[in-house]
Amino acid sequence: MSRLNLRSQTLQLILALLIGLGLGLVYSWFLSPVTYVDANPAILRADFKDQYRVVIAASYESTHDLARARARLELLGDVDPVGELSAQAQRMLGAGEPFDKVRPLAQLATDLNQGFASIPTPTPFTALNTPQGGFTISATETQTEEAAVIEATPTPFPTILFEQTPITPSVAETNTPRPTFTPNPEPGAPFALVGQDTVCAPASQPGLLQFTLMDSRRREIAGIEIIVTWNQGEDSFFTGFKPELGNGYADFIMQADTVYSIRIVGGETFIPNIIAPACTDPNGVEYLGGLLLTFQQP
Amino acid sequence: MTSPNLIKLVIAALIGIALGLTYGWVIDPIEYTDIPPNILRDDYRADYVLMVAEAYQSDADAETAARRLAVLGSESPALITTSTLEYANANGFTQDEITALQNLLTAMQTYQPQGINNP
Repeated sequence: MSRLNLRSQTLQLILALLIGLGLGLVYSWFLSPVTYVDANPAILRADFKDQYRVVIAASYESTHDLARARARLELLGDVDPVGELSAQAQRMLGAGEPFDKVRPLAQLATDLNQGFASIPTPTPFTALNTPQGGFTISATETQTEEAAVIEATPTPFPTILFEQTPITPSVAETNTPRPTFTPNPEPGAPFALVGQDTVCAPASQPGLLQFTLMDSRRREIAGIEIIVTWNQGEDSFFTGFKPELGNGYADFIMQADTVYSIRIVGGETFIPNIIAPACTDPNGVEYLGGLLLTFQQP
Repeated sequence: MTSPNLIKLVIAALIGIALGLTYGWVIDPIEYTDIPPNILRDDYRADYVLMVAEAYQSDADAETAARRLAVLGSESPALITTSTLEYANANGFTQDEITALQNLLTAMQTYQPQGINNP
């Protein structure tokens, strides 16, 4: 009898403990959960992250401070910040946003990919006030960018730490920004078709029409509009939205037995009669090949 | 049920509640993943406003700047910029950055949302 009593008491205690545990969890998870008041950008909702990227790109367009833009993008916690920028630019174009609004994103993606600012920094901002995202940008990471806009000196670049609490910069930026490389297109300069290569690769997208646009010094340039027309329609797109394939790269999918005309906007270059070529694989089977068109400003 | 037994049950329940609260608040608290920008930490918030100010330096588009600031909460864009300027002054922002914020503040103080004057 006493054993039964003891077991009953133990069960009651366990039951009381479990009820208490349940009440505690309900209170801490649902009634009064932990509230965040000091959140970081990495946990922003996706549409706010998009907005954040737009603002980063707009700021970069003004300051041309590539290291700082990179640090700010890192705060968003994207695995591939450049890829995210490009993807967002394409999403915005696809949603009908004007190119002027998308261009800063594409420009930032292009500059991050090439490692230096396209336009020299007019006023060198230090990066010390950008909040820390658990990373450090060292001299080796930024050296390429710095070298493009600032004359190299024998003195090694200092390591720049991104402090959580902004502090007065201890290293003064005294280098004078020098205009160096500007890959933007020369206004109005026509593009000449300097290469038209058939691409027969069974593994690649059938009918892939690839473009590479370069300036007179054979450097790829982003932001050039290409218009492709055919008898049933027209499509337009810009170079530089796939920076991983080149700043001057763009592509388009051709259909079989369709004749396309291509116009490069700005230089008014016009190339008619473009057709997807037929290729043959080693087994003798025909498939739709691709074309690589290379344009260059004189 | 005897009084000592009742006390034991209450103690057990209190221990359970304490364990539940510890687990729910400390060990495995609710994690937020899709937050709005209005609860960003002060330094991130200030950096966001600084970016808006830097962009405004270039495009001088008060409408766009106000829209960008609006995601930070229900306060007016001028108030958001004012508090950021105070933060910037207190935290050693560079003169260029403070100038950019002051320019933005001036723009936001005189900014009238489109449509107000044209009912």
